[in-house]
Amino acid sequence: MNPTNPLLLLIEDDPQFQMLLSTTLESQDYQVLSHATGLEGLIAARNRQPNLLILDLGLPDIDGQEVIRQLRKWSEVPIIVLSARNQESEITQALDNGADDYLTKPFSTAVLMSRIKALLRRVARLPSGALEVFQAGELKIELTRRRVFVGEQEVSLTPIEFNLLCVLVRHAGFVVTHRQLLEKVWGPSYIEHSHYLRIYMGQLRHKLEVNPARPRYLLTEAGVGYRLYEGEN
Amino acid sequence: MPRLVPCNHHLDKHTYGARFWGIAIPLVLTSIDWPFREILTPSNILMFYLLGVFFVALRFGLLPSILASLTSAAAFAFFFAPPIFSLAIAEPENLAGLTVMLVVGAVTSNLAENVRRQAYVAEQRERRASALYSFSKELAEARWEKEIIEIGVRHIHAEFGGQNTLLFPDQNGLVCYPKEPPLDISLQGTDLGVARWVFNHGQMAGHGASTIPNEAAIYAPLMGSTGTIGVLALEPVDLVRIFLPEQRRLLDTYVNQIVHTLERAKSAEQAKDATLKMQAETLRNSLLSSISHDLRNPLATIVGAASTLETDEKRLDEDRRRKLVTVISEEAQRMSELTVKILDMARLEAGEVVLNRQWYAPEEIVGSALRRLDKKLKTRQVNILMADNLALIHVDAVLLQQVVVNLLDNADKYSSAGLPIDISVETTPLGLSIAVADRGPGIPESLQQKVFDKFFRVNAESAQSGVGLGLSICRAIVEAHGGKIQATNRSGGGTLFQLYLPILKCPPTVNLEEKELTP
Repeated sequence: MNPTNPLLLLIEDDPQFQMLLSTTLESQDYQVLSHATGLEGLIAARNRQPNLLILDLGLPDIDGQEVIRQLRKWSEVPIIVLSARNQESEITQALDNGADDYLTKPFSTAVLMSRIKALLRRVARLPSGALEVFQAGELKIELTRRRVFVGEQEVSLTPIEFNLLCVLVRHAGFVVTHRQLLEKVWGPSYIEHSHYLRIYMGQLRHKLEVNPARPRYLLTEAGVGYRLYEGEN
Repeated sequence: MPRLVPCNHHLDKHTYGARFWGIAIPLVLTSIDWPFREILTPSNILMFYLLGVFFVALRFGLLPSILASLTSAAAFAFFFAPPIFSLAIAEPENLAGLTVMLVVGAVTSNLAENVRRQAYVAEQRERRASALYSFSKELAEARWEKEIIEIGVRHIHAEFGGQNTLLFPDQNGLVCYPKEPPLDISLQGTDLGVARWVFNHGQMAGHGASTIPNEAAIYAPLMGSTGTIGVLALEPVDLVRIFLPEQRRLLDTYVNQIVHTLERAKSAEQAKDATLKMQAETLRNSLLSSISHDLRNPLATIVGAASTLETDEKRLDEDRRRKLVTVISEEAQRMSELTVKILDMARLEAGEVVLNRQWYAPEEIVGSALRRLDKKLKTRQVNILMADNLALIHVDAVLLQQVVVNLLDNADKYSSAGLPIDISVETTPLGLSIAVADRGPGIPESLQQKVFDKFFRVNAESAQSGVGLGLSICRAIVEAHGGKIQATNRSGGGTLFQLYLPILKCPPTVNLEEKELTP
């Protein structure tokens, strides 16, 4: 195995599932380090400095949320959390604690691969500075000039609509929770006012989407948040 | 043995007053007759006295009337029979008249007393009959054990006075204090040891009985058709009266009524339990047959394909290997979907689901449902009719999205690929309406209610995989929101599923910006 390949740390207590993931990931030329408990995982994260962490939220020793909180004190490593279905509140909490993305079991490994790739790409992109222009499909956003186009047509947005879009662009391809959006766009005192977010997201969809009831760009993750479509790459 | 005492003491309630009248009335008559002593003959005067005795007998009973007779005799001898102002009676005629008056007075007193007594008994009987009547009427209307016990305690209190309580055994067969809070008239602090002995032996104990006669209360067993079912503890106001045969019979009647009503209630409950058990059994059977069919088939395929890959890998060409892998993946996907549905239903049924209501845009709920079915609906024409200016609605979006997903999934499953699916969302007087319509074969009218039942499928043998839970889940979720869902046939063919969500709260206001960024 090539030591320059990205190192993924997998914290998952189910041995069969751990085996499946590590086999699949290794076949994609990643180095994989597997641990079954949160504490071992945290030690490994400090000692080995992985490029990305895949964390199951249901661990035998400490709460997955606690692992994220501990890790975020000193590390910016991208985290993908794995969770069972019907646990939107847990997922939201993990994302608010600093996880970058989530998958609910069962999921196809292909989806996991694309999420890993997207996260590693984002890390690689970060040092190059702020994004000038974001483009996905027909949607083009010029961030510094504060202009938005759908195809050839320029769309005029209100300041809040534009700010909302900007937060999503900064996390393009990744889910942003309701709480994060409310805090970043409206401020910390608006965290409970989720109806603002619904109204503005609706307005934004009506301006940017061909069919707002079947959005292409501004995607809803029910019970968790929103995800901006990143384009085919 | 209980002591027997005469039961007439209640007739002589006004004893001293009555005796007073027994003496007073002849004296009054004497003073009335005195001015007329020249006109009236002694026999006339005796008649007046007789009338007085008769009146006293009717009004005040035997003893006062005897007193009245004697007073009358003395007064007659003293005031009217010569020699006057002496008890001596000179004329034999007057002596005979006086004797006759005394005899007649005694006889009429007895007769009057009997009349009085019978009237009293009749009145008591009537009162008791009407008390018993209202008691049995209340019992007849009672359905629950608690109710029956309360009625029993109340009526025994009304009839026998004092305090009483009914004690019943717990699951372990030991008589214990009632779990319900006591009534004001309930007897508290009964001796459980005595109650248990009475329950086990089916015999009376406590005050006046041969067992534990020192107790203040009486403990009587409640004898049911199959043995003792409980114990009555009674501390009446009048401990002596309760042992009169008539009172004992009455108490027995009360106790029997209570026992019969309790047994009736119990057997009704048992019948209901049995019905419920049978329904649960039927449900479990259909669940088992449904699950075993729908899970075993894909499992058989997966296990078979995987073991072929495991053992004969070298002998399989690339094409065959790929086919087996695809089969495993597809069947596993199917099993996963079924498991999710079964678990969802179990969660909803167990009442574990707490709605996480938030303000959501209806458009977004439909949108996220469509996105979850993106792959399935890729080639399908989906028409969306969304009313303008739909207000936000206060719902659990994750669950509601599941409803729309299930409806869309059904529409996709049961109509051919080339036919469109129509979604429409609007505000109606019944609330927000979300409708999903297909151009499939439709559902026979008689089954339009049944499709929402668990494990019900219109055509159980159809090739479509499914356990018949999707629509039950929809109904459970919609009903949890206080809404309703229905299936009807569309004009032009196909099924229309429509759900209504009541609008319970007005959406909060949002201060919108006016200005847009100038490009």
